[in-house]
Amino acid sequence: MPILSAEHLTKTFETGGDATRVAAVGGVNFVAEKGEFVAIIGASGSGKSTLLHMLGGITRPTSGRVVLEGVDLATLDDDALALIRRRRIGFIFQRYNLLPELSLRENVALPLVLDGLTAAACEAAASAALDAVGMTNRAGHRPDELSGGEQQRGAIARALVTEPALVLADEPTGALDSGNSSRVLGLLRELVEQRQQTLVMVTHDPEIAAAADRTVSMRDGLIVADTAAVAEVS
Amino acid sequence: MKRSQMLLRQWTRRPGRALATIASVAVAVGAVVATWVSANASRTGYRSLTETVEGIQSVDVAARGGGRFEAKTLPSLGTVNGVRAVVPLFYRPTLLRVGERRLREVAVGVAAETLTDLGLMKLTAGRPCIGFNEVVLESSFAESLGLSLDDELLFFARKGIDRMKVVGLVERDSMAWFAETSSVIVDIRVLGEMSRAFGLLDRARVVLKPEANRKSVLHAIRERLPEELLAEIPAGRASMAEDVLHSADLGLDFVTGLTVAMAWFIVGNAMLMNVTERRRGFSLIRLLGATGKQVRRMVILEAALLGLIGALVGAGLGLAAAGPIAAGISRALQAPPGEHLFVQPVVLPVSIGLGMLVAMAAAWWPAQEATDVDLLDGLATAPQPPARSTPWKFIVAVGVLTLLAIGNQALVLAEILPPRASVPGGMILLLAFVATTPILLPPITRLLALLVPRRYSVETTLAVEQILRQPVRTALTTGVLVVAVTNGIGLGHAIRDNVDDVLGWYARMMRADWVLTRAGMISPAGNQDDTDGGSAEAEARSLEGIARVEGIGLATGRVAGSACVVVARDFTASEPLPLEPVGMSEDALREALERGAVAAGTVLARRTGLAPGDSVAVEVFGRTTTVEVAGLVVDYTSGGASLHVNREVARRLFGMDAADVLLITAADGAVNALRDPLSHIADEHSLLLRSFSEIRGIVDRIVQGVVGSLWAILGLGFVVGSLGVANTVTMNVLEKRRTLGLLRAVGMTRGQVTRMVVIESLLLGAAGGLIGLAGGITTALFIQLASQPLLGHPIKASFRPDVVAMNLLAAVAITAIAAWLPARRAARLDLLESIAAE
Repeated sequence: MPILSAEHLTKTFETGGDATRVAAVGGVNFVAEKGEFVAIIGASGSGKSTLLHMLGGITRPTSGRVVLEGVDLATLDDDALALIRRRRIGFIFQRYNLLPELSLRENVALPLVLDGLTAAACEAAASAALDAVGMTNRAGHRPDELSGGEQQRGAIARALVTEPALVLADEPTGALDSGNSSRVLGLLRELVEQRQQTLVMVTHDPEIAAAADRTVSMRDGLIVADTAAVAEVS
Repeated sequence: MKRSQMLLRQWTRRPGRALATIASVAVAVGAVVATWVSANASRTGYRSLTETVEGIQSVDVAARGGGRFEAKTLPSLGTVNGVRAVVPLFYRPTLLRVGERRLREVAVGVAAETLTDLGLMKLTAGRPCIGFNEVVLESSFAESLGLSLDDELLFFARKGIDRMKVVGLVERDSMAWFAETSSVIVDIRVLGEMSRAFGLLDRARVVLKPEANRKSVLHAIRERLPEELLAEIPAGRASMAEDVLHSADLGLDFVTGLTVAMAWFIVGNAMLMNVTERRRGFSLIRLLGATGKQVRRMVILEAALLGLIGALVGAGLGLAAAGPIAAGISRALQAPPGEHLFVQPVVLPVSIGLGMLVAMAAAWWPAQEATDVDLLDGLATAPQPPARSTPWKFIVAVGVLTLLAIGNQALVLAEILPPRASVPGGMILLLAFVATTPILLPPITRLLALLVPRRYSVETTLAVEQILRQPVRTALTTGVLVVAVTNGIGLGHAIRDNVDDVLGWYARMMRADWVLTRAGMISPAGNQDDTDGGSAEAEARSLEGIARVEGIGLATGRVAGSACVVVARDFTASEPLPLEPVGMSEDALREALERGAVAAGTVLARRTGLAPGDSVAVEVFGRTTTVEVAGLVVDYTSGGASLHVNREVARRLFGMDAADVLLITAADGAVNALRDPLSHIADEHSLLLRSFSEIRGIVDRIVQGVVGSLWAILGLGFVVGSLGVANTVTMNVLEKRRTLGLLRAVGMTRGQVTRMVVIESLLLGAAGGLIGLAGGITTALFIQLASQPLLGHPIKASFRPDVVAMNLLAAVAITAIAAWLPARRAARLDLLESIAAE
């Protein structure tokens, strides 16, 4: 049974003042198995980030449904959806999205703080997550005191600290140089493999996508290729 | 890490934002505390002023049908909350003989020893009278008769002639509040016995504690009195009394309410910016799994903590600011030193609680907005500006609020609601004006922008864009100014119109070069003797260089159960009528007065329901006569509780013979030459001589005191407004540092950025000033309408360009000054940091 599935997903947006509707995603079916690393690839405007946002419950689809671990996200209200995001999904963004006022350790501990864990438990889990990404020595620093690569490793630690079933990464290496890109990607892959977590990563870079178990290509809001399907056919 | 710790981290790492928010709350709470305490100082000053003019604050108990009543029917009133002492009074006209001199006097019977012990009567020499054959005299009266301690005089009473010894001398001021015109004090039991009226009282004067509310005490006393007794506020002894000061009191209520409104706008704006600036952060936290409730709770918790800190700081600042302001007000109102800074125990907890509550309430809406926003929109670095559609909700709000305010005022005018209810009505009207800001601001701003020199067109265009980008926040920033200007123009007009009304009345009433008065001015009982006023009047008429002598008789009376002052004077056809009729011509009123009718002051008419054409029973000196009310007149004598009557008619109907006040007009060039002969007459007859300019000076000082106190508090409002604007402009700059950084990055010079911020603030200031101008004029009319039930007559409203110009200039100057530092700060922002700002 897939850990994540999306059926007939569409997302349309109103643009401009004339209420023209544009389909960002136009009827997509998608599944991901436990422990699978899927890369969604496509040009800018192909709908890959919108699909990722719908998979993660950040935005609701116009039609269709997303089922995560057997739970239909469409049936949940905003608060319940927030709980799913907090406990079962980890997010990694291109621009890291760390809170500038908090130290790296505090940023990593944030989902646990929101979950009402004790300070000691938050501290221990955050330290372990930072240790896993090799950032223990930078734990007390604020984001603006860290390099891009360091910030992204911190963001990975935050995404994994709750041990989510699904990790969603939106161009996680997009703001990094090639050296840092491969380090971050290697780290990400290693960690989700260890934890048997599902990783869905959006990228426009075929080289980065090549690191995934499976690649889904999108164009004009539709999936135009899926290496899993090719494998099945072959 | 707890959520509160997370907040603390945010504050310590971004102290500017937290401090600006705290400063906003501190300014707002400080303003409320300072205004409240200053308003209290004004009220204390007003009370002191009323006491100076009118006597100690008191309530009178008298027989309902007039005449005397038995002391045993008087219930115990000493336990009524706010009562300091109950002073039974018994007046008795008598004849005194000192050597060869014989003179008629009114002796007053009181418990002299008790009064002295309570500090309500101050002896300059000797002791209080306690037994038979003992008398206490007013010191200047004794001096004029050549009497000193232990001297004797003959006292003619109903029981016979008594030889009485002068055992004490008393200050005129300390006995005027109960003795009226009398200068002779005898123990009340002794005077009763001598008059064969033992156990009878003319009235009991209930002395109130300084902080007591006279109307509440009056109500409590009325509840305890038997059917045959009534309680009333004594008719005043001088020209300006409580009802006039009520008008100023109403003004103070308005100012306090407006300051609270301003505080609300300042805090609301600060909270809105504080939360809006962190919209992206909140969206990120929500994305990581925070529920909307968690985010809202965090924002409200933060608001409560910042509100508490700000409120504590503000309360301290407010008290510090109130000290000198209250002292200045007290000086202006000539209140006794040391009485100015009275901080009611309720002021600090209520202000601090209010600060916290307002902060939390103000944070609620932006917190709701922050959690309602689409997660992806919230995460966007540059949030989408709100749609510039027609602000229908504001149009509806303006309509509803205006209707509410008009409805409220209609109920006040119909006297269904008390005059004080005008204050919340005024607040609602003010909110209506602030609600017009998002509607009026865009066109006004664009029009004002046309006035900016063309060489600053780039800065002006960008400034206008910035203003129109965030209509709600801009409306709140402008709202502070709208409130300040509305306050200034509205109260400025109302105060000046009121003052002009009082001074106009005074000019009509007191047309003379010299004024001779009896020390107590009003006759409390039958003073039909001609030995004093009468002969003084005749002597004055016989002087050379006199153009006119006008005698005015004053007596306390009662009409329809209400105390009043009966004013008897000649209304000669050759002189302008010294009264301002309401709803009838001067000629018609003069004719009716000649015919024997009376004119009622508007306040008396309102209190008793008198109307022109009514026949009414008037009791003066225990004699009741029915007279016709010819019409109503604008009058401040005894706060408008007055009846005006032709002097000849007063003589005939009420037995008012003597003139208590002589208005003397000198022939051309003879004003100064009259000083000596008039002084001589004054000395001879124990009268007080004052020049018109001296009297006018006293009135002016009183009026200036009241006006000055209101202006001081209004000034405080402007200072608060300027601090609020400075703070919101600073927060604006903080929030827009990314935009400003981008503008600098694409080539804007530091000078252009400075000018843009200053122009933006000036446009806001001018727009706020213009909306405030409309609000101010409306508020002025509103206050005039609210005063009408108090004064009983409408006050002529006038447009005063100087008040308008002063307020508009102040608004623009405040914004220019307030914008300068933030503008410089904006120009010096680090380019990279600004662009990277989240």
